[in-house]
Amino acid sequence: MSPELILALLAATVQAGTPILYATLGEIISERAGVLNLGVEGIMALSSFAGFLGCHLTGSAWLGLAAGGLAGALLAGLHGVVCQVFLGNQVVSGLALTIFGVGLCNFLGTPYIGQATDGFHQFAVPLLADLPILGRIFFRQDALVYLSFLMPALVWFLLWRTSFGLGLRAAGEMPAAASAAGLNPQRLRFLGVLLGGLLCGLGGAYLSLAHTNLWTTGLSGGRGWVAVALVIFAFWRPGRAVAGAYLFGGVMAFQLRLQASGTNVPSSLLLMLPYVLTVLVLVLSAARAQSARRRGILGRKSAAPAALGVNIESVG
Amino acid sequence: MKQRIRTFGALALTLALGLALVLAGCEKASEKAPEKVAPSAEGGPKTGELKIGFVYTSPVGEAGYSWAHDQGRKAIEKLPDVKTSFAEAVKDGTDAERVIENMARSGYDLIFTTSFGFMDPTMKVAKDFPKVKFMHCSGFKSAENVSNYFGRIYQARYLTGMVAGLMTKSNIIGYVAAFPIPEVIRGINAFTLGVRSVNPKAQVRVVWTKTWFDPALEKDAAISLLDVNADVIAQHQDSPGPQEAAQQRGKYSIGYNSDMAVFAPKAHLTAAVWNWAPLYEAIVKEVRAGTWTGNRVIWWGMDKGIVDIAPFGPMVPKAVADKVLAQKAEFVKGNDKVFVGPIKDQGGKVKIPDGVKAEDKELLGMTWFVDGVVGSVQ
Amino acid sequence: MGWGAPVVYLCALALSLGLCALMLILAGKPALGGLFMLFRGAFGQGHSLLDALIKAIPIFLCSLGVALCFRMQIWNIGAEGQFALGAVGATWAALTFGTLPGVVLLPQMFLSALVLGALWGLIPAVLRLRLGVNEIISSLMLNYVGILVLEYLVFGAWKDPASFGFPMTSEFPPAALIARIWPGWLGKLHWGLIACPLAGVAYSVFLNRTRLGFELAACGEGERVARYARLPYGFLVLLVMGLGGALSGLAGSIETSATLGRLQPTLMVGYGYTAIVVAWLARLKPWPIAFTAFLLAALRVGVEAMQLELQIPAAFGQIMEGAILLCVLAGQFFLAYSVSLKRPRTGPPAQVAEARP
Repeated sequence: MSPELILALLAATVQAGTPILYATLGEIISERAGVLNLGVEGIMALSSFAGFLGCHLTGSAWLGLAAGGLAGALLAGLHGVVCQVFLGNQVVSGLALTIFGVGLCNFLGTPYIGQATDGFHQFAVPLLADLPILGRIFFRQDALVYLSFLMPALVWFLLWRTSFGLGLRAAGEMPAAASAAGLNPQRLRFLGVLLGGLLCGLGGAYLSLAHTNLWTTGLSGGRGWVAVALVIFAFWRPGRAVAGAYLFGGVMAFQLRLQASGTNVPSSLLLMLPYVLTVLVLVLSAARAQSARRRGILGRKSAAPAALGVNIESVG
Repeated sequence: MKQRIRTFGALALTLALGLALVLAGCEKASEKAPEKVAPSAEGGPKTGELKIGFVYTSPVGEAGYSWAHDQGRKAIEKLPDVKTSFAEAVKDGTDAERVIENMARSGYDLIFTTSFGFMDPTMKVAKDFPKVKFMHCSGFKSAENVSNYFGRIYQARYLTGMVAGLMTKSNIIGYVAAFPIPEVIRGINAFTLGVRSVNPKAQVRVVWTKTWFDPALEKDAAISLLDVNADVIAQHQDSPGPQEAAQQRGKYSIGYNSDMAVFAPKAHLTAAVWNWAPLYEAIVKEVRAGTWTGNRVIWWGMDKGIVDIAPFGPMVPKAVADKVLAQKAEFVKGNDKVFVGPIKDQGGKVKIPDGVKAEDKELLGMTWFVDGVVGSVQ
Repeated sequence: MGWGAPVVYLCALALSLGLCALMLILAGKPALGGLFMLFRGAFGQGHSLLDALIKAIPIFLCSLGVALCFRMQIWNIGAEGQFALGAVGATWAALTFGTLPGVVLLPQMFLSALVLGALWGLIPAVLRLRLGVNEIISSLMLNYVGILVLEYLVFGAWKDPASFGFPMTSEFPPAALIARIWPGWLGKLHWGLIACPLAGVAYSVFLNRTRLGFELAACGEGERVARYARLPYGFLVLLVMGLGGALSGLAGSIETSATLGRLQPTLMVGYGYTAIVVAWLARLKPWPIAFTAFLLAALRVGVEAMQLELQIPAAFGQIMEGAILLCVLAGQFFLAYSVSLKRPRTGPPAQVAEARP
């Protein structure tokens, strides 16, 4: 591979990783608050349509993005109502949400197929774009990609440096203790679900506003599921989410380029790469963490929030 | 409470099972009766309303493979006394069998199953419903009441390949393809032969996506080809993702299924398109006249107008257009020379000897790439 | 709580059907007629009931498999991949020992399906036990890998030379096909159905009558509890994942042999994911699992009929299914509520009940 091709590959990695990154961060917030949301795929599907529609009707990409985020939050809110108010099982609710969201996207979106939108376009960031190597990879992208650079830090700040974040995590770890401390874990959880849905919605909107500027259905294409898996891969930490999303996007982009440069490896094997590699990396990092733990360096940092998936009323 | 739920569940299930058995019996009895009185459609001309069903593998949408078939359906619906309906997004395998069987059972006279994956289900249902006529698209099995049909879309592919070969400057042409099955491989080969007929130095690079419809992935695949210097992107996919990628990079694209110019007006050179209406109309006429028979393979080409190329984009020079249209005229005359030897495979081995025209059977089972294609056939 | 459960379910169902009727009206279709068609397509005819029953078989088996794992809080969502590997195992046996008579060949196929499915289930189990790798992610990723393994074989080594290069194995010899029970009366219903009561009873007996079953339930309280109680936690994880994988694998082999008669990528239609929904809706109990699997299968069959009659888009069926699931799920709340009225909890009071106004 030529250096030029490698740079193109890395730039493509960032593009392919961005929607997954948004969704992974959203799911991290939701799960940190103790609510497992398996409906990410449905949320991304519906918000990709909402993003398109918003942009199509108003002509503004930013309003489209807002519509996408709003749709994501609304659909996640449905999940919140079913799980928080009616104490429905989070796994079923999430899966039902996926079926519902994908169906709604197809149903509402079909009449618009083929409509072009004036979404987000790539532009070079002054000065930064001229950096050797890095400029080409990171700073000739679109506004949503730049926004996604800030997101992990924002989410980290929100969760670990604000009292709201502390309460949110408490609602996910020990709702009883949070309640004893005078917080309202139910409300915190609901907010966490909404916020998470919003971010997943941004990921969906990225697909219809930046990744492609033509509306068709089926844009989510399984990316929501990948995001759900990457949350665990990321050990529920925003920083590692970046690594996960770019790793996944990168391997996908890599296998396509491997094919494009002419290889005789069967495509089924190449397509297995991202999935196998995700597990392998997880295995390796788990092995390293384990040996570190044996030497007493790290605590139980890779564990899920203690009350994840457990509805508050049934904790007792 | 546990106990209650369990007993309730048990009761309900036994009830449902019992009901199933009883109803199955009744159904069988009631099903037999009308079958006997139903006028034999075989042989004699069919008068009165003709009910025709279509089974599609993907949602109809606004462009793509099923959409093209649906245009054909709409054309025959305009014929007098014809009622059509369709089932879309039907998954191959057992779901398809049920859907087709439902159609056969509800009195459809003629059923078009439009995707390769419906072959076995069609055959199975056809066995149980000998009075219903089936037309299966793109497969290789037939029976007394099942015939096969398909179009020589490879002729259109060949022409679009010529356009690509004449328009490329880098001599690398990208091809985003769905699944390595003969239908797709045949298309890639015909395209490449078209490319090579006008530009022996050009090569065609193939990327498999293993999906018929994933706009974002297809776009990424096209970008990966553009990254290795391809300057024309062709596709065997149902979404316009690759078109868009080409337009964004200021390169050219070639569409499939229907005129994709709306998606990428600046990039779209032409497209290989389906036009099923003439074939569907002819089949309906046959059924009306009572001349329809099973066990046939109907492969129509450009001479009958069921495959074509879309109008050229404004960037195609007249010289190129003329050259391609001259070849098209040959096809329209019925002079199909796409797979006439000598044709070598990727390894340089002669697969179709000099002057020999490949038989349809060979084309149907094509699993090798011609010389000039870069990529794995798996 | 008497007839509370069915009443609640019926109300939830009625509510969701009302929603569906509303959507039908919005789509400009007859609402009542549509619902009637849905019902008739699902239950109104013998053949549709049979279709639903046939479709429910793989869902039930996979669902039982994942339910077993969920019982001890092992989140196995890999039924789809285990199903694929089961199909691969059965196909391998059918293609390798095709000349044997059915009495030998079919058990051979089931055995290899059980083994391969179990192995595919054991990978996440081992990774979890040895390295602490979360089984949700590994089993989910293995779903994709399993399907691609199937595709790799069908597009490659196992491709039928007579299939003109299309991705399918050659047809199984008749001895490798599961027979229909009573073709004259029961249509396509096949003997694979027998596996369901067998597996269901085994599941109940195992959980309620054996020591391991009790230990398994105890492990459901959490890993730490289990280790303090000196329960064989690791062994049980391997056991449930192995058994769960084997059940899904069995489902894969039955589906391949009885309904397709050859291996094709089209085998994979997502039963492994449906199974998870079913298992949870049925609260991991075998009879409700059977009932729910049947209902969900019937719903899908009914939606197909409605789609054909009314010419509504396929996506409509998805919306309806999602709406129904959400409504029924929310409806279960009232079930729990009425229970707690009659039987106060014995444990510590609900933790944050006081936090609600």
